[in-house]
Amino acid sequence: MTAGTRRRAAAPPGRPRRPSRPRATRGTARETLLLMLPALVPVLVFSVGPLLYGIYLAFTDARSGRNAETSFVGLANFGDLLADGDFWSSFRIGMVWAISVTVLQFAASLGLALLLNENLRLRGFARVLALVPWAMPPVVIGLMWRLVYHPDAGVLNDMLLGLGLIGDGVDWLNDFSVALPAVIVVGVWTGMPQTTVVLLAGLQSVPRELYEAGHVDGAGTWRRFWNITLPQLRPVVVTITSLDFVWNINQFGLVYVLTQGGPGGRTRLPMLFAYEEAFRYGFFGYAATLGVAIVIVVLAVLGVYLWRQMREAD
Amino acid sequence: MRTRTALAAAAAAVAVLTAGCSSGGNAGGGQDTGRDSGPVKLRFLSLAWQKESIAANKEIVAAWNTANPDIQVEYVQGSWDNVNDQLVTSFEAGDPPDVIHEDSPALAGFASRGYLLDLAGKLPAELKNDIPQQAWDTVTFGDGKGGQGVYGVPFLQESQVIIGNKKLLDAAKVRVPTPDDPWTWDEFAQISKKLTKGGAFGTAWPLKAPVNKVLTQALNFGGTFFQTDGTKTTVKVGPAEREVLSRIHDQLYKDRSADPSALGMGTADPLPGFYAGKYALLPTGVYLRQQVVEQAPEGFEWVTIPPLKGTTAEQGAISQTLSVAADSEHPEQATSFISYFLNSANQVKLAKGDWLLPTSVKAAADPAMTTKENGWDVATASAKNLVVAPYLKVNGYDEWKSKVATPTLQSYFANKISLDQAAKTLVEEGNQVLERYNK
Amino acid sequence: MRRPLQYLALLGYLFFLAFPLVWLLSTALKTPREMASLDPSWIPRDPVLGNFADAFAEQDLVGAALRSLGVAVATSALAVLLALPAAYALARHRTVLNRFAIGWVLVSQVFPFILIIIPLFMVLRRLELVNTLPGLAIVHVTFVLPFALWMLQGYVRAIPRELEEAAAVDGAGRLRSLAAVVAPLLAPGVVATALFAFISSWNEFLFALVVLKDPDIATLPLTLVKFTGAEGVARLGPLAAASLLATIPSLAFFAIIQRRLRSGLMAGAVKG
Repeated sequence: MTAGTRRRAAAPPGRPRRPSRPRATRGTARETLLLMLPALVPVLVFSVGPLLYGIYLAFTDARSGRNAETSFVGLANFGDLLADGDFWSSFRIGMVWAISVTVLQFAASLGLALLLNENLRLRGFARVLALVPWAMPPVVIGLMWRLVYHPDAGVLNDMLLGLGLIGDGVDWLNDFSVALPAVIVVGVWTGMPQTTVVLLAGLQSVPRELYEAGHVDGAGTWRRFWNITLPQLRPVVVTITSLDFVWNINQFGLVYVLTQGGPGGRTRLPMLFAYEEAFRYGFFGYAATLGVAIVIVVLAVLGVYLWRQMREAD
Repeated sequence: MRTRTALAAAAAAVAVLTAGCSSGGNAGGGQDTGRDSGPVKLRFLSLAWQKESIAANKEIVAAWNTANPDIQVEYVQGSWDNVNDQLVTSFEAGDPPDVIHEDSPALAGFASRGYLLDLAGKLPAELKNDIPQQAWDTVTFGDGKGGQGVYGVPFLQESQVIIGNKKLLDAAKVRVPTPDDPWTWDEFAQISKKLTKGGAFGTAWPLKAPVNKVLTQALNFGGTFFQTDGTKTTVKVGPAEREVLSRIHDQLYKDRSADPSALGMGTADPLPGFYAGKYALLPTGVYLRQQVVEQAPEGFEWVTIPPLKGTTAEQGAISQTLSVAADSEHPEQATSFISYFLNSANQVKLAKGDWLLPTSVKAAADPAMTTKENGWDVATASAKNLVVAPYLKVNGYDEWKSKVATPTLQSYFANKISLDQAAKTLVEEGNQVLERYNK
Repeated sequence: MRRPLQYLALLGYLFFLAFPLVWLLSTALKTPREMASLDPSWIPRDPVLGNFADAFAEQDLVGAALRSLGVAVATSALAVLLALPAAYALARHRTVLNRFAIGWVLVSQVFPFILIIIPLFMVLRRLELVNTLPGLAIVHVTFVLPFALWMLQGYVRAIPRELEEAAAVDGAGRLRSLAAVVAPLLAPGVVATALFAFISSWNEFLFALVVLKDPDIATLPLTLVKFTGAEGVARLGPLAAASLLATIPSLAFFAIIQRRLRSGLMAGAVKG
């Protein structure tokens, strides 16, 4: 086994020559499987199993209740879903939310990561403070921002009025046009630490020699960022934006505490919609269909994004 | 043998498959250890959250546990915010609490899905006769199989009153009404206009969750919003239903006597503005008095104004309830615990703790419930206006409310659509939703 | 010239990220009366500790915090223990399983809880894990595992294979070379992964709500919501006081391992 590994290492970066390949693969495959077993068991029992059952539900008319009879309905739920105007508006809101939060999170976090990567005073302190949102349970985050956004007693209106930026108190979470942006800000706030930390890590792994070479050439800050930092950061950026996007589209708890989907459904993200279908109205099958539909869309979006990024990177 | 749902069976199959050859428990759920020995144990899921209310609940449970060593009740504090998720998952899995605190709108759905025990004929006459039929009506629902049953014991009721800033009312020389001679909606509109001056508004309507509030008060003009033709229920928005809708809308945009910026607020959110004199009148549930007592600045004087009157003063009643889970292993013990917990003496404590109205007739006559202090006399008197709201019985009401009615009413009150448009949406989209349940 | 601007920008960021925390602290120190004031102030006019006293007297916050701590520590330890061998295998051997595993990591993040929660509850009941803290820890482990795996395999990959092989050539056994060469280099990665698992578990609400029934085993997030009532009316003072308590341990944790963060939390993951 070790022989196989060593041989592969001995001839980088090309693949091992044909004759040796099947044996090595079979050996390492068995070892891989063995090493992965401890992690696989809980995942299979507590995650894959329930999940498969959840997916199965998407093709049934399962409803909650002791009197309920469940039968297989094929793709009927998907048909209903496509014709469901409420679903489409929720889906649109979900996309606006997920894309804007992801983009803003990325932009804000990149700026912060660049600052934290500089040799500034109090950097350690700043790094800890930058993690504040991550240290809070989402339930607390939701309740806390409700305090901040409170139209009368909230500190945000107080500050903005004090600065003369607004003339009247704004009811941030209940105004039809500002509710979604207000919720997006909370989303950005909540997700910034993870994104910042990952980007910071990425920045620190950019080899210093590259900058030194750039410095000699007399490149300015901006050019150095554009020509050296960003290309080096690319894999990191792709990874974290994909993850952020997935996390954001599946967001539930935060917005549930903030607005419960209001006003007038303007912040009803797809997961809030699915939650109501399942837990309030008891249509488990339909809710599962919605979950599956979101999964399909997300995988498609990610697929296209990752494919394009990889092609550009080549 | 109880019938398991297909869901439970299928999920159990998954469990068996995935768990492989884990030491096979018995099919009944393996929770029956110690059933024959030791006291019976009941789990009581309570939703009390006010400080005084939690104390009252704990005190009553402790008294019961001392008096009944054979039936020990464990007090479990839940939360209104997420009790629904908690209950649905544990009902589905067959492991619910024995005694469940909820409110009557939630019971309809749970009852029709067979989650709750029908208490008809199981309660002592003393308790049954102490609570008026009107309140029992709020917990009587279809069982999802064509029958009717009583699925809880109603104990705390909420009515809609108005809390007023006394200094502003006095300054405007406004008549403060009594329960026997309440304001009519017309009077209310005029007074609200009169109180609107110097940047202050007469009224604040916090309508973040508009549906229950509006539907409850729509009964003042006979607005029921639903009609049942045989077995099929449909939505209706006729002249009777439009009254309260348009009156509130007029206050906001015609009279300009209600502050539009309060519209999106939740029930308690306008209080800071109310204390500061931004609004003179605040239509709200009786329980909000607690917050006023706790928060109002020194010297702030306030009055509780009885429910408004249209053609009647009737309001739809919503009650808090205690129910027994159908899956409870000790239904009799659970029922007798409820009977004790809700006797009239205890209801006084509970009503005081939550600043709501007791259903018990005897409890309502208690001096603590009729004192002038903090408006208890007015609040308790308003219980006589409560009737069962028709919408409570509508299967699918909850979905209609959150998918159709809430956004539509919010848009209407925000002056984004006309009353005709709102009515059309409520009916057309509403009937589509109800169609799902009429199947 | 650039420095002052940078400090200004940093200050702006820190204000944005930290001001809600300050507001929380301020709220925790206010009386109900002051909270209802139309003219909110950052510094309580008449600071009181009554909210903290109320919060501690009414709910078993210390007990809940200890239980949350137990579950979170167990979760992070177990997650690392289970993920480490798998991460090593994934990073070092390229097989079909790799794609499958990496795919699963991403896909597991994509699946919404709605598809999982009820079947999961039935499985737990079957295994008699409902209403137990170990049951909750197992659920948490399951859901942090994919990401922990991904982070760790990145860290492993960042360690040059040649180092390991050099040790092997020197005659050290496989395990010894792992212990001597890989383990020290991997330590920061393990800490970062454990931290990730810890925070996820410490903050988690929905699964805890569904799994735990008895009040005497409730975790901290479950206890916090007991200060909220119907229609979004909450007892803000005690809630803010208790929320602060829930936030402080994670913050302290961050402060302590601040040096580790410098070496790059998740550094490995991003090289994957």
